[in-house]
Amino acid sequence: MTDHTFKAFDADLQELSRMIAEMGGLAERRVAEAVNALARRDIALAQRVVASDGEIDALQRAIEESAVLTIARRQPMAVDLREVVGTLRLANDLERIGDLAKNIAKRVVALNGEFPPPQLLRGVEHMTDLVLEQMKHVLDAYARRDLGAALAVWRGDETIDAVCTSVFRELLTYMMEDPRNITFCIHLWFCAKNIERMGDHATNIAETVHYIVEGRPITDRRPKGDTTNIAAAGAVR
Amino acid sequence: MNITATSADNLAPYHRANPSAVNLTEKIAVRELNFFYGENRALKDISVSLYRGKVTAFIGPSGCGKSTLLRVFNRMYDLYPNQRASGHVLLEGEDILSPSQDVNLLRAKVGMVFQKPTPFPMSIYENVAFGIRLYERLSKSELDGRVKHCLERAALWTEVKDKLNANGLSLSGGQQQRLCIARTVAVRPEVILFDEPCSALDPISTAKIEELIDELKNDYTIAVVTHNMQQAARVSDFTAFMYLGELVEFGDTTRLFTNPAERRTQDYITGRFG
Repeated sequence: MTDHTFKAFDADLQELSRMIAEMGGLAERRVAEAVNALARRDIALAQRVVASDGEIDALQRAIEESAVLTIARRQPMAVDLREVVGTLRLANDLERIGDLAKNIAKRVVALNGEFPPPQLLRGVEHMTDLVLEQMKHVLDAYARRDLGAALAVWRGDETIDAVCTSVFRELLTYMMEDPRNITFCIHLWFCAKNIERMGDHATNIAETVHYIVEGRPITDRRPKGDTTNIAAAGAVR
Repeated sequence: MNITATSADNLAPYHRANPSAVNLTEKIAVRELNFFYGENRALKDISVSLYRGKVTAFIGPSGCGKSTLLRVFNRMYDLYPNQRASGHVLLEGEDILSPSQDVNLLRAKVGMVFQKPTPFPMSIYENVAFGIRLYERLSKSELDGRVKHCLERAALWTEVKDKLNANGLSLSGGQQQRLCIARTVAVRPEVILFDEPCSALDPISTAKIEELIDELKNDYTIAVVTHNMQQAARVSDFTAFMYLGELVEFGDTTRLFTNPAERRTQDYITGRFG
């Protein structure tokens, strides 16, 4: 796109994009660390993840301030306006992802040495790989304003949902086998649910990228793979 | 002259192409309008509609023809030699470009407010009463009532009610502009044209004029030419973007300023032009 006549406006928008990229990178790292802490039973790492959440929050506040200032100062229109409003939404989604990672880390601390058997973690780790991939792709799609890549992420959430459902069934079986498994299974289930939520935030980001580029929401129907509600109903019966 | 329904249909104005716009009534319909300053073609095949009770903003860089178009709506160009228009401009179906059009009557129906306030060098009262006397015979009390009403409509009454005999030029710029609006409203026009009405005013006076435009649109059809994009976005229902004498894009203001269809519109409103 052509530059603005007033160059400082371009600098403002570039700085906002840069901050989103930085925040995205931080959020990705926190997610990986939180799940690593869970898999490696590393309480020290989990505590570091909890403590470092402030960094992401601070970046979100900085982005909000900067976006509000840009609106006040430049009164952006059309694609520029969508760009600035989009940044606010993206920062929100990334902050939520950071929070969900922190929540996983807190559960690692709460498990207090009572860790689930490694084979039970495989599903959660697999979900994490998928979510990290989605996050990477959607942040790339944002950086390149790539509509196709954003749509691919938007459609790709289905797989994460499907794995989440299978993790749920697995945990359910485990809890039915022995009530002593319930505590860590519940913690693990919340971890899985948090990761599934991160996937939802990645699709939100894809929607925002679409909005920035096209100026309208995605109108397709998104495929849904999460059937835990139905699975739960089935288990009760 | 009445343009035939068939030829108007062929031009597919906005309200026919947009199902959401079924309730709109065309007050002024411009069809294939061309305008010439001597040999120079300043407007090129313009077709656009002004809708009754709506505010239409015309935006575009200097020299794009937006003020020229506004001047066609009340045949202001007639005052100058070597300026001519071709095509059709229908005010409720009547072609105002027709040689048989009574220009004085047209200017009573289509009032205009200019960039710089232009009060007459006479009292505040007379500024408003002057135009009324040209068209109507009213008793003193009726005239007083009408002058008061017009000054109220222009949100000026409370500020001038105790000095109606003071010279119009003694008012501040913003007040003078509102006096000009009162003067325009006085002859009960159907359409009001604003040619950059706030470019010489401070932000508070600007806000007052914008508030006024918002109120006036209930009773009049309004066209505003402005260089201030935020103003166009704030006050108008429809926006037309013009460039080099052409109408590039016309549509809902909300859409045009958030998601314009044309690249040139986007570049202009986001400050990326040239």
